Amino acid sequence: MCGIVDANVANEVFGEDCSPAGGRFFDWIASPRGQLVVGGELRRELSRDHRFVRWLGSAIRYGRARAIPDEAVEERADDLRRRDICKSDDEHVLALAIASGARLLYTNDNLLMDDFRNGNIVPGPPGKIYTTRDRKDFRPAHRKLLGMRNLCRAPEHG
Amino acid sequence: MSFRQFRKIRLRDFRCFREQQAARLAPLTLLVGENSTGKTSFLAAAQAVWDAAHGSGAPDFRKAPFDLGAFPEIVHSRGGHANSPGSFAIGFTELILEERLLDFEVTFESRDAAPTPATTEWRDGAMVVGYHRAQGESARYVFESPNGSWYHSVSADDRMFEGLWITGFFSRLHHAAADDDPMSLIDDLEPSPVTPGSVPSPEDIAEFSFLSGLFTRTPSQAPPFASAPIHPSPLRTYDPTKLSSDPWGADVPSRFANLQFQHKAEWTALKEKLDAFGRESGLFDDFSVKQLTSVEGGPFQLQVRKFGKRGRKGPRRNLMDVGFGVSQVLPALAALFRADGPPMFLLQQPELHLHPSAQAALGSLFCRTAEAGRQLIVETHSEYIVDRVRMDIRDRQTSLTPDDVSILFFERADHDVRIHSLRFDEQGNIVGAPDGYGQFFMDEVRRSVGL
Repeated sequence: MCGIVDANVANEVFGEDCSPAGGRFFDWIASPRGQLVVGGELRRELSRDHRFVRWLGSAIRYGRARAIPDEAVEERADDLRRRDICKSDDEHVLALAIASGARLLYTNDNLLMDDFRNGNIVPGPPGKIYTTRDRKDFRPAHRKLLGMRNLCRAPEHG
Repeated sequence: MSFRQFRKIRLRDFRCFREQQAARLAPLTLLVGENSTGKTSFLAAAQAVWDAAHGSGAPDFRKAPFDLGAFPEIVHSRGGHANSPGSFAIGFTELILEERLLDFEVTFESRDAAPTPATTEWRDGAMVVGYHRAQGESARYVFESPNGSWYHSVSADDRMFEGLWITGFFSRLHHAAADDDPMSLIDDLEPSPVTPGSVPSPEDIAEFSFLSGLFTRTPSQAPPFASAPIHPSPLRTYDPTKLSSDPWGADVPSRFANLQFQHKAEWTALKEKLDAFGRESGLFDDFSVKQLTSVEGGPFQLQVRKFGKRGRKGPRRNLMDVGFGVSQVLPALAALFRADGPPMFLLQQPELHLHPSAQAALGSLFCRTAEAGRQLIVETHSEYIVDRVRMDIRDRQTSLTPDDVSILFFERADHDVRIHSLRFDEQGNIVGAPDGYGQFFMDEVRRSVGL
């Protein structure tokens, strides 16, 4: 199962003071049950944190993270911009979901949530949102999301 | 140049591998996993089954560098010898002529505590040519096709050649195939009770002839190069008359000296490769053989030197006076760089004593060697080798494709070991990793970065 971490919550997952819900999300991607997907602009944004970079190197090496080619992500982001259908300005995150097949997104951005659930933008089954916008604690809804087994479609890249 | 290559190895009741398992092999295969999970046994199995298929005589499981002991030490133990199975099996699938995949399998039984082939078979789909010599039964060749099965009892003459596989009968079989004359074998072959014809069809004979020919070693099939990880201490001065080879590369210094003295062009080509690897790995910039006398056959020394800033050459240093890594890796380099080198390499922890930059350079060298049509099976604990191979594929630094590399992860499961066949995708992501793969490293990095 694979998920995406938006840059606006990266500190909750990979930061020194991660939130309870963020910490449990990290546990999930660090375990064989989950997998982080990265690629394109979002990879560059997340890579500003050197601790994340170190972790990512090992995670890719051992299959806990999956790298999507930047070109594949950027091509889809450009397509979304041309179509001008997104409410948010996070086409690069949505493009990563399309290219990777990931259908779980950790974000606190309301507009991005709407876009991610929009089947015209991210086709296929509606994407699921993992958020700490209102509360940072680990709640049953979070647990349910991390227990789901159909959060990854076949990737479209390559 | 392309050689016959193993595409799979199958094991049953061999050492720590109890259940029948098949591991995918590629031009470059990396064996990874904790200590004592059967990686070296796997290399030994590859060497033994190669010998059984292409060598002369029964394979020797005590052959250096993989000494596995006698039958009781090799057959899978299920808690006490009384519970051990009476046989174990090793097989492979081999790619020959760049298109045909053939299966070979040998089952071993104990004869005076030595593992001895009881059945040996080449298979091409439903076509089989085998040699059966089960305990208490007379030896015979077995031929199977969809049209029936036949056997040929090994004669007294054939017995004289047992183990060499080139028997008088095989010769008659080849002639029958060439002459399209199956009836010439009517006195040689006994059909099974349910087989309708007394002799196989001409098509069956042709295939049997082809398969039986595989029991014979072809000139292009030099035996695999098998190396051990521990290398005896280098010497300050070598005696060039010592040319006996062993898995620890005892002959390598003398071979270098011999090339330099007698085959200058060959030596120049080899030295270029050694120097290029030395620079890439950071081990040295210049490798040389220093003859201590002007006459052939005199003592000599091996020397390396590093270049300083702006290429300023440093002093030449005896191999004894630099880190152990250079002399450790030298035998493997010498084999990998040989133009007439073997088609298969079985390398045991070649990264020992090497700095990570040199380990990574070895990863690239393995890719280049596999590109040239040779097959490498490398047991390693080096993340740097695995990672360099992964990155070279991702970044197109090698012409190898993801399918050309196999990662075999050996995972302990109670008293047995399970082999997981992993691969890379085009982006260098690992595919097919089981839950336990890399868990130790992930826990360590997580702790290290404080996540």
